[in-house]
Amino acid sequence: MSSRAANAGYDRHITIFSPDGKLFQVEYAFKAISNAGLTSVGVRGQDSVVIATQKKVPDKLIDASTVTRVFQITPTIGCVMTGLDPDGRNQVIRARQEAAEFKYKYGYSITPDLLAKRMAGINQVYTQKAFMRPLGVSMIIIGWDDERGPQLYKTDPAGHFSGYRATAAGAKHQEAFNYLEKKLKGDAPAS
Amino acid sequence: MDRYSFSLTTFAPNGKLLQIEHALAAVGNGSTSVGIKAANGVVIATEKKAGSSLIDVSSLEHMTKICDSIGMVYSGMGPDFRVLVSSARKMAQRYIQTYKEDPPVRILVKELASIMQEFTQSGGVRPFGVSLLLAGVDERGPNLYQVDPSGSYFPWKATAIGKNMVNSKTFLEKRFNGDMELEDAVHTAILTLKEGIEGQLTETSIDIGVISTVSAAQAAGEKPAFKRLTTAEIKDYLSNIA
Repeated sequence: MSSRAANAGYDRHITIFSPDGKLFQVEYAFKAISNAGLTSVGVRGQDSVVIATQKKVPDKLIDASTVTRVFQITPTIGCVMTGLDPDGRNQVIRARQEAAEFKYKYGYSITPDLLAKRMAGINQVYTQKAFMRPLGVSMIIIGWDDERGPQLYKTDPAGHFSGYRATAAGAKHQEAFNYLEKKLKGDAPAS
Repeated sequence: MDRYSFSLTTFAPNGKLLQIEHALAAVGNGSTSVGIKAANGVVIATEKKAGSSLIDVSSLEHMTKICDSIGMVYSGMGPDFRVLVSSARKMAQRYIQTYKEDPPVRILVKELASIMQEFTQSGGVRPFGVSLLLAGVDERGPNLYQVDPSGSYFPWKATAIGKNMVNSKTFLEKRFNGDMELEDAVHTAILTLKEGIEGQLTETSIDIGVISTVSAAQAAGEKPAFKRLTTAEIKDYLSNIA
C-alpha cells in the first residue's frame, strides 16, 4: 500500500519517505515557518546572549502588550518561537514540562543544550511516527550554563539542533544568516 | 489514539519494500562515512558538513561512543541517528549490568538491527533514514559492522556509506590490505574521505574515531577504549598528507 501510497502522493500527507529519500511533510513544515512572515535572530557574546524578533500586531483592537513570541522556560533559559504561533505555544508548554521534570528527577536545573536536545528529539518523533504531524515552528533557545557561560541553540521541525554563535529563523533567515556570517567572520564569539 | 494499526511499509507488486529503498536514498543524500578494520584496531571517519560558519562545531556529535569498547558513526538523517545512539547506549548498559563487561560488537549490532527492522514493519512508523558504522573491539578482535535501514547488517574489512560510497569503496578496494596497522588505516580513511569531500579537508571538517585491540593498547600502557580524535590529532594526520 505504501508504495502506491508514495506514488499516489501520500508521501506528501504523512511523514513517509519520498522516492528520493525526502520527507515532504518536514519540508512543508519549514515552508510554514517562512509563511508566517516574521524573522527572529539570536546572537551569543562573551558574557551574554540576546534574541530579537519582529512583532506584528494584526489588528488595532488587539492589546499589543499581550502579543509576544518570547517565552521564559526556566529562570535561566528563554526562547523565541518562530512560525505557527499555536504550535509554538505547544512547544513552550512542553519545554517547561521537560525542564520541570528534569529538575525533579536530577535535582539541578536543565542546561540549554540538554533542553535543545530533548526538544529536538521530540521533533524527531513527529517525523517518524505518522500519528502526529511535525510542528511548524523553529525554537531558538538562549540560556546561561554555569559551566559554559552563555548558550544559544536552535531546533527545527526536522529534529536537528545545533549550538550557534549567531542564528536566525523565519521568513528572512537566509538574509540574516548571510549578514551574520559576514559580521562574525572568524571563530571568536561576538563582543 | 496515538498509533496506526497498519504498517506504512508494505510490499509493492514487484516484491520490493519501497519505503526501505527510499530510506536508503535518504542515506545516499547524507555525508560520506568510511570505516577500516586494521590488524590491530578499527577506524571510522565521517565528513562533518558545517552548514554555516556560525554553527558552534563543538556542539555537533557525529562520532559517538556507545560504551568503552564500541563507537558509532552514521550517514543520513542526524535526528534519526540520535534515537539509535540512545537505544544503543541503553542496551549496552543493560548488558553491562547483567554481565559486568562490555557487549561484543556483534551482539550490539544484532540488537540495533532488530530495532531498525521493527520500524519497517510496525504500525504508523517509517524506517530510519540512516546507515550506521559500528567499530569495536571484543574477544574476537577488531570489528567493523554496517547496519542499514532495513535492519540488515554486514561485517566489513573496509567500507563506505553515504553520498560518495561507490567511489570510496572502489578506492578502498585498491588500498586495503589485511596486514594494515591502525596508523595506516587512519591515513587511508582520511585519503578516502578526501576523494569525495565537498568543501575543504580540515581538522574541523572531518571526525575520526579509533579503537585498538587489547594487545596493541596494552603494549602502549593504555586500556582499550574507543576515542574520538581531537582536532589537534587530526591536524597531525593531515600534515602528513601531500
